[in-house]
Amino acid sequence: MESLKVYILVANRTYSDGIRSALGLAVENHYGYPVIFNGEFPSFSTYMKENISWIMDMEGQVYSCGAEVPEETYDAELEENLIKEINLKELGEAMRDADFIIPYGLPKQTNEPPPACAE
Amino acid sequence: MKILQVYRSAPSEETKTLVEILNRDRDADSFDLNVDAPDYDQLVEKVFAADQTVCWW
Amino acid sequence: MSADPNKLAIFVTSPQNMRHVVGIAEAAQKAGKKPMVFFTYKSIHLTKDSRFAALAELCGQDDIAICADSYTCEGYDSVTDIPAGLNDKQMRTQAFHGAQLDECGKYIVL
Repeated sequence: MESLKVYILVANRTYSDGIRSALGLAVENHYGYPVIFNGEFPSFSTYMKENISWIMDMEGQVYSCGAEVPEETYDAELEENLIKEINLKELGEAMRDADFIIPYGLPKQTNEPPPACAE
Repeated sequence: MKILQVYRSAPSEETKTLVEILNRDRDADSFDLNVDAPDYDQLVEKVFAADQTVCWW
Repeated sequence: MSADPNKLAIFVTSPQNMRHVVGIAEAAQKAGKKPMVFFTYKSIHLTKDSRFAALAELCGQDDIAICADSYTCEGYDSVTDIPAGLNDKQMRTQAFHGAQLDECGKYIVL
């Protein structure tokens, strides 16, 4: 089966599950590229970091578009950040080669989350 | 290559930039789902006529 | 197996697009195409929509499934509360999404 290049685009802070979805495709021998927009990062649990690392091991990559990569995902052993920065134009050009582009979940919220769900 | 851009909500400036790059030198079409009564028959026709469909948030 | 040019993958990730899911699946069937639908993450709440069972019947057992982990993560019981119209074999993993990419000639995310 042909390995496909799949970009999963996450614009909303509650949809970082797109990373798990990309991992699901990576284990099916596809290339998964989740992209987190504008710093809408999940909290980096051990589970989440392992998923990000596993996507890299499967020759995919988690990207940050529109925000610096978070410090929490720096891997001291690999001496690099597990998340790579990409700007909007680079992303657009990269996605011209994609087999599938998947805007995941909901668009970005315009309002700030209340304390009840902000963390 | 025929590419179809579908919008579930009004596209942001970022989405518009990405669409412009993706559509460059390609046969591009679009469909707006963000209306009261989308013509799903027409959308299915467009999806099957396209090589790739991107359905934005 | 090569992708079937008459098969349409509908990958459902948002909890607010049931009218589009049903509308597109019905339009595909009317056009002589075969919809294959997978609900994941928060979209699994749509299994509680009154239109879900009819959608499941339209698609047929092999061509509609939900992510069992998502269903459990959202608080539902994936053993005792299988959605109306589905059976336990349709409570699947992300591999079903992989199957959609492999089997379907066309693809849309909602």
